[in-house]
Amino acid sequence: MNATPLLETHRLSKRYGDLRAVDEVSFEVRPGEIYGLLGPNGAGKTTSISLACGLLKPDSGKISVGGLDFWNNPKAARRKMGVVPQELALYEELSGRENLEFWGRVAGLSSRDSKTRATELLEALTLTERAKDVVKKYSGGMKRRINLGCALMHRPSLIMLDEPTVGIDPQARANILEFIKKMVEDGVGILYTTHYLEEAEDLCDRIGIIDHGKILAEGTLDELRGQMGDEQLFVIEGGFANQDPEQWPGFLDEFKVVQKKDKQMVVSASQEGDPADYLKKLLAVPVQLENVTLKRPSLNDTFLKLTGRDLRE
Amino acid sequence: MKAILTIGFYDLKVILRDKSAYIWLFVVPLAFVYFTSFSSRPPREARDARPPLQVENLDEGFMGDLVIDILGNQGVRAVTPEKNPNANPKKGLRIPADFSERVLDKKEVKLVFFEITGEESNPNDLLVELIEANLLRTVITFNGYLLEHATNVGNRPISESALRKLIGKEDPVALDSSFAGRKPIPVGFNMSLPGIMVMYLLMNLLIFGGSSIATARRSGGLRRLSIQPVNALQIVFGKLYGLMLLGVVQISGYLLAGQFLFKVNVGDQLFAIALTLLIFAWVSASLGMLIGFLIKSDDKVVGLAIMISLPLAALGGCWWPMEVVPETFRMIAHVSPCAWAMDSLHQLITFGSGLQNVILPLSVLAAYGLVTNILAAKFFRI
Repeated sequence: MNATPLLETHRLSKRYGDLRAVDEVSFEVRPGEIYGLLGPNGAGKTTSISLACGLLKPDSGKISVGGLDFWNNPKAARRKMGVVPQELALYEELSGRENLEFWGRVAGLSSRDSKTRATELLEALTLTERAKDVVKKYSGGMKRRINLGCALMHRPSLIMLDEPTVGIDPQARANILEFIKKMVEDGVGILYTTHYLEEAEDLCDRIGIIDHGKILAEGTLDELRGQMGDEQLFVIEGGFANQDPEQWPGFLDEFKVVQKKDKQMVVSASQEGDPADYLKKLLAVPVQLENVTLKRPSLNDTFLKLTGRDLRE
Repeated sequence: MKAILTIGFYDLKVILRDKSAYIWLFVVPLAFVYFTSFSSRPPREARDARPPLQVENLDEGFMGDLVIDILGNQGVRAVTPEKNPNANPKKGLRIPADFSERVLDKKEVKLVFFEITGEESNPNDLLVELIEANLLRTVITFNGYLLEHATNVGNRPISESALRKLIGKEDPVALDSSFAGRKPIPVGFNMSLPGIMVMYLLMNLLIFGGSSIATARRSGGLRRLSIQPVNALQIVFGKLYGLMLLGVVQISGYLLAGQFLFKVNVGDQLFAIALTLLIFAWVSASLGMLIGFLIKSDDKVVGLAIMISLPLAALGGCWWPMEVVPETFRMIAHVSPCAWAMDSLHQLITFGSGLQNVILPLSVLAAYGLVTNILAAKFFRI
């Protein structure tokens, strides 16, 4: 089934002086899926989403919304999308309901429709009891929920969420993620940026790993994990600060160094083999080891392999 | 259009939700109107410049009161030690108890002009001479009315109402005087109300306008608006509409207080006065928006707004009447839009002109509004 993607970006680029904030980024969001852009802070996620929603104009590349070129008719494209910015762009002096109604009316709803829709969303976001309170009295999680609701007032088919769970407690995060999962059941497509690995693993149907403005890999969770192949990963702990694995006799014939830190190294076996044999070889390295662990590759390991750094760095 | 109205309406709602805003919108400006009115008001005593004459009216009939009324018309202020303890009259006039009776009996009667004990009398005192002359004119006028009454009604008895009718009658010859060449100087509330209205409209719209735009830029509100199905011009006009609504709220409050609290006559030229203030609000709101688009920091916006509004208000004649400054200063002052607004308001409130007389200042203000509005749209930044 080849449904027209709700959002398609083709080789988008954006420079700020010498910095390539986004470098030929291409991805698409299909109806009923959550596409995650996963990368550390400063990787280019927010710039990518800003380009995709038309907040920034790309230096080059193309954006299509529902099959139509965005910049040919930006108003029509924006009617189809709801954008949840990372910042809490709310009127703090107004109530939650008033905020929802305001953004609904700006998006083109009538007064009556915006009232009805606000009531629906307040209920869905479990904020009905606090609907009349001014937003500045809300908790961080409640503000995040209203921030999300404001983008949904006009029932967009494409929703872009830029790190919507930043700075809130786990319970509030779980509520928001649950709400997002329900939205997808109605056939909307979601572009979701995050630097939380667990969110991407839990939520996203497909993930694009982005770093330094480039998409390094893309696919489903299994596809991305598969990029590590059947590699066996070993985490070894010890003092590696002044050590150079290249100097260890035969080490690089047997292992690839995925990551090296002062007190920890992640290495993968170059070829398939008995893990016990590899463990013996690791214990023979000329460093006093404190611990050796064998693990299955995770999304973070894929990220590590692609970028040479941890997502949490 | 709907987006513009929505943005403006909610912006106004946000500003008016802050209770401290009312202090700057109404309380402080109206207090300033009251207090600054004293600076352009003559001292209480000087307001009635007629020389005082202490009158002891012992008359048991109505004629004594008539004499006092005629005295007033002739430029003498009748005072008593009880009612006017600070008047310090140098001379007194005693109207005898049988004054009415003797006049009605067509008998001679004498008014007693006397010197007040303890008050130094200078034979060359011009005020005393003025009082004597006016007293003489009063007596002649009084006799004139008696004569006119006798001519009109013959031998019928003299009644108070008939005499009062004669006194109230328009004189066959009157001198109509007016200022030649130079305009009168607006004083009291006629000066302070327009001055403070213009100054606070400018200051508040600069502060609230600049601050709301800067806050929206910092919080991401403008960025969020920019990804809605609205264009940049709709956002600019939405913000402008909100500030104009705030201007209307202020103008309504000031004009109501002016009319009913300070008794300034704004009702006769209400449309033209409101139009002047609305065009001036457009200039101020656009300037406020421009500041907000150029500067993101709230503190800097407020500081700059005050730094701009106070000198423009002072230069433009909000603090003192333009009529008292030299011609060169007056010319330079018209760089400030406040000067044009004040020109129009003084014409309408104090000089009795109508809309047709203020077309020039209104046109200049509109030009200011257009230029600042275009600049605000040009510098629109999220």
